[in-house]
Amino acid sequence: MEPILQTTDLTKYFSVQRGLNPFSKAKKFVRAVDGVSMTIWKGTTIAVVGESGCGKTTLARTIALLTKPTSGDIVFDGRSIVNGKTNSKQVYRDLQMIFQDPESSLDPNIKVGDSIGEPLEGLMGWNKNEVRNAVEKSLAAVGLPQDSVDRLPGQLSGGQKQRVAIARAISPQPKLVILDEPTSALDASVQAQILRLLLQLQKDYALSYMLITHNIAVAEYLSDYMAVMYSGNLVEYGLTEEIMAKPRHPYTIALISSAPIANPWKRNLLQVEIRGEVPSAINPPSGCKFNPRCPYADGACSREIPKLQEVSPGHLVACHFVEKTA
Amino acid sequence: MSNLVKVENLNVCYESRGGRVTALDKVSLDIKTNELLAVVGESGCGKSTLALAIIGLLPNPPARVMSGEIVFKGTDLIRLGQANMREYRGTQIAMIFQEPLSSLNPVYKVGDQIAEAIMVKRSREDGNPPVESEFMQKTHKIVPPSKVSKSFRYGKRISGELKDEIIASLKLVRIPDPDQVIERYPFELSGGMRQRVMIAMALSQEPALLVADEPTTALDVTTQAQVLKLMKELMTKVKTSVLLITHDLAVACQVADRVAVMYAGDVVEAANVFDLFSKPLHPYTQGLLSCLPTGSKSKVDLKPIPGSVPDLRSPLVGCKYASRCQFVMKQCLDRKPDFIETMENHEVACYLHGEKNGTHSANN
Repeated sequence: MEPILQTTDLTKYFSVQRGLNPFSKAKKFVRAVDGVSMTIWKGTTIAVVGESGCGKTTLARTIALLTKPTSGDIVFDGRSIVNGKTNSKQVYRDLQMIFQDPESSLDPNIKVGDSIGEPLEGLMGWNKNEVRNAVEKSLAAVGLPQDSVDRLPGQLSGGQKQRVAIARAISPQPKLVILDEPTSALDASVQAQILRLLLQLQKDYALSYMLITHNIAVAEYLSDYMAVMYSGNLVEYGLTEEIMAKPRHPYTIALISSAPIANPWKRNLLQVEIRGEVPSAINPPSGCKFNPRCPYADGACSREIPKLQEVSPGHLVACHFVEKTA
Repeated sequence: MSNLVKVENLNVCYESRGGRVTALDKVSLDIKTNELLAVVGESGCGKSTLALAIIGLLPNPPARVMSGEIVFKGTDLIRLGQANMREYRGTQIAMIFQEPLSSLNPVYKVGDQIAEAIMVKRSREDGNPPVESEFMQKTHKIVPPSKVSKSFRYGKRISGELKDEIIASLKLVRIPDPDQVIERYPFELSGGMRQRVMIAMALSQEPALLVADEPTTALDVTTQAQVLKLMKELMTKVKTSVLLITHDLAVACQVADRVAVMYAGDVVEAANVFDLFSKPLHPYTQGLLSCLPTGSKSKVDLKPIPGSVPDLRSPLVGCKYASRCQFVMKQCLDRKPDFIETMENHEVACYLHGEKNGTHSANN
């Protein structure tokens, strides 16, 4: 299998100013993404899961070149897109993104047809006719009627708006699509429609997906690989099936058992044994960032940051006490 | 189990420029003593309107209760009037909202806000004139200042028995270092802590009914699990019934004793949680359950419900789900099916189930 995207030690720090003194020398950083190395394989879906503030959206935005990484490298389709001269136009064409809230990712004053078509003129260098054909094709692909070209986003329902956003993302024939919480603003029945549509499009257009979500059920449904993030670090990476069946990092175990299951005979939620909340990203705990909440934490955990190690082929876990969860 | 709340034929409308929107269309629902009833449904189905109607906080205008009654411990809350309703709100029926940051007052310390709740409860128990805090005096001007004898003042140092009681209520919801937390402002707490403060405040009243409107939607999954677990434990400790409003079927499934499913202003099905998830009767409930991703794409085939929710501004004849239902019959379009008990403790509004609905159609 070929990788479509690889990150090496990717970091993204945001500087913050503490207090009101504008001359304060004390520089502080939010370590949003703190040394993430991972691979997305061609034609597969990777789900990046974690709680709010764990850096999953920043990771996606950094990969999509919406913000510059602080350090580290991103190799997309065989070429580094961080260092040296980057043909950003080509990256924007091959790497598309779908956002959480279609309400804010579509311009309310621009007709649906123009929302999808306008970027194509610049990105693909197509003429009006080619653009019109592409818009028609992508509207058909997402199951919207052709007369929606002349509609404004305000005339569409939430699910339809998300379909427009998807149509816009697939129209330049991208290789990798980043889905940032694509269904969390939608109702259960609409979510099911969108999930099915995404699977269909992946098959038809041979797309690779990077799915950012906090919803474990959606991640399990859609993904082949799973990457679990906690406070800017990648703590577990592997096949979704394997992680869901046998999570090894204590945080992954807590996360999966906190996700409600629609089965009243399996009341996992009431047996959850996790304490505390996600730590501050400005002053994270030393060593393993999960150690204040971890049931297995020991002296070593607050001293040393655990490295990702392979527990079985393709299954990586960053924990000092992996053997305890086996 | 006896009924704590009996909602009977409740009809609530919102007057809007585009016409009258029927948010609740003849809803009948019981909440039993010491049970957790979850009301689930998609956005716009009227679940929040139901919650607000029960606690008497419907924004009026635009909302109007057209008909029906809400009987709570033998009193009809609809006919009670705003002034009398205030005596019930908080003490008898408490509520927690989705976003705790907007339901806590940002300029007062957490301890002061809980203290006010406790003072209000005490004055109501003693039968004294209502305690009006400084803040309420300024905004409502209900009681003349001279009468406010036991007025609670913000910013004053809380001490003694009252402080112990506040700390006890924070300990109950497992907040670490409660004696420090009472000196903090809401913005200094994390989302999960804030929601716990709200629960502490609501439960310090030992209400007979706690209305929780999407209490964990703004929280992370691990925090959500902690908060829901806590709510469930405290329910038995404080002996309160809970009405949980949620859009998340999985959450309802995990904590509820009974589940009611709403669609476009109607309660379409209500049953014990085990019955509802194992043998759902209403086609909408069946549809919702087959929309849930419960495994990987190779094993689970999602079956989305075709179509979309009807426009509630236009008066609808017949079953509102008829346009999306695969089992639609002629009578579905003519008359709305009654909400009846077809099996023991399993109520449904559908012509496919129940003899009563069947005979109705024969007579018509």
